[in-house]
Amino acid sequence: MIISSLARRRSRMFVALLAVAIGATVLSGLVTIYYDIPRQMGQEFRSYGANLILMPAGDEQTLTREKTETVRAIFPAESVTGMAPYRYQAAKINEQPFMAAGTDWAEARAASPYWYVTGDWPLGAGETLIGQEVADTIRLLPGSVFTLTGTGEGGEIFSRDFTVTGVVQTGGTEEAFIFMSLADFTALMGEGQFDVVECSIRASETELAAWAAEIESTVPGVTPRLVRQVTQSEDAVLGKLQALVYLVTSVVLLLTMICVATTMMAVVTERRREIGLKKALGASNREVVNEFLGEGVLLGALGGLLGVALGFFFAQAVSMNVFNRPITFQPLLAPGTLIISMLITGLACLPPVKSAADVDPAIVLRGE
Amino acid sequence: MALLELNGIKKIYGNVRALWDVSISVGQGEWIAIMGPSGSGKTTLMNIIGCMDKPSEGSVILDGVNISKESARNLTALRRDKIGLIFQQFHLINYLTALENVMVAQYYHSLPDEAEALQALGRVGLQERARHLPSQLSGGEQQRVCIARALINYPMLILADEPTGNLDEANEKIVLSILRNLHAEGSTIIVVTHDPEVAEEAQRTIVLEHGRIAAVTENKREKAE
Repeated sequence: MIISSLARRRSRMFVALLAVAIGATVLSGLVTIYYDIPRQMGQEFRSYGANLILMPAGDEQTLTREKTETVRAIFPAESVTGMAPYRYQAAKINEQPFMAAGTDWAEARAASPYWYVTGDWPLGAGETLIGQEVADTIRLLPGSVFTLTGTGEGGEIFSRDFTVTGVVQTGGTEEAFIFMSLADFTALMGEGQFDVVECSIRASETELAAWAAEIESTVPGVTPRLVRQVTQSEDAVLGKLQALVYLVTSVVLLLTMICVATTMMAVVTERRREIGLKKALGASNREVVNEFLGEGVLLGALGGLLGVALGFFFAQAVSMNVFNRPITFQPLLAPGTLIISMLITGLACLPPVKSAADVDPAIVLRGE
Repeated sequence: MALLELNGIKKIYGNVRALWDVSISVGQGEWIAIMGPSGSGKTTLMNIIGCMDKPSEGSVILDGVNISKESARNLTALRRDKIGLIFQQFHLINYLTALENVMVAQYYHSLPDEAEALQALGRVGLQERARHLPSQLSGGEQQRVCIARALINYPMLILADEPTGNLDEANEKIVLSILRNLHAEGSTIIVVTHDPEVAEEAQRTIVLEHGRIAAVTENKREKAE
């Protein structure tokens, strides 16, 4: 009888259900985004380059490959965007001094996605990427060939032709460098270890600081240095974004409550005569209250269920449009949204339910 | 002992005397009609007899219980257990079928029993229309559903407010015939009406004017067999 009576009032119930479902959808969607922001934005921030630099500590002049790998093992594998090793040595082009840098192309590209390269990244031996400043000084373009001369780390003199595949703009000191592969660098300068390793790690400032402390205490000869500007601004932006989403979520919750309360108030007003009749037939205040609260909580549960499903799609759509990446489903959010929806509808129903309990049964005799 | 005893009841709203020194005694199985012009206090009297209001002064004894001293919760229970209400405007719940409308009264009284509700609809000749919504029923049929609902919990007192007020002549006859049968079966009935023909069906007519009893007439018509 109760289900069929609800079904027969489907148009009114649909309006109320819609109000709850929309609220639950926005709530569930925003909370999903709220929890996914650090992951999404963390990936975005990694495009701003390294946030942790590994440098030789104490009397050490270089970083060994073994130590670099030990440090890599400290970070969770999924958090490492790139760890680019660099070796530096002075060299000349046409007797003009520059700094040659050897690196791992794949790691450098992953750790420094903000580098703007005119031309192509080098692929083979004898190919280089030169900074914009170098290109301007000696008028080199992608495709140009130049001769690099100098003295290796062992004191041997070298002279070798390189082809420019691309010119890099970074807005930083990298524009004065000539980049080549570690293999080419070793061939010119001789065997050696890394001068510095630039790490791009997806983590909050706190996590990074903890890992840095662990590196410092467990890997001797390595000094980790946080790039404060990057890590602090990451945390500040994340904090502000989360606060914004939190605020919007709170406003949505409030609006949902108002919407549900208004709808329930309309339902009560519409059914005032029916409530009076039920009371005239012997319904107690508690029975009337339970009936309306039960209806409200049932609406909350149904709306919450819809909200969980639709909220995920809403969050997915936002994530795909804003971050261009899919969102992660938060399993705890489903029961959370359901409970909050039921609580909100329950709370929103209280004032109208109170007014339902106050209806005078005598109205049915007065013909109101 | 009288089923209902009103002793010197007064009902005052601010400066308005809605009822003034009204005393009525209704015996078990009696059929009483209450008449009077608008504003004479009929509805106030119905509210008090129907346990929906309490008098400002005086006592109302229903089946040995002084309802003028009972709490709102106890009045609800008394209304549920002892009184069957029939309304001029039927007051059926429009999204429930005729059968469900009858079962609503069972729901608040004890437990809904579909077979018993169907039987009650059968008593008013509406078993075939049990699954129809009020909008699919005529005015007379709706009033008969209202009567079935009033009867379903076997009330001691049937309180009818203008039961034929919204009906055509044919339906008025049907409803009066049902009331006559109920009375013949021993039901106690109080009918508020403007219609002298309806009032004549009762054993006694009480006329109210300005909140006071203006006249009491014993009707000649014999109790229907």
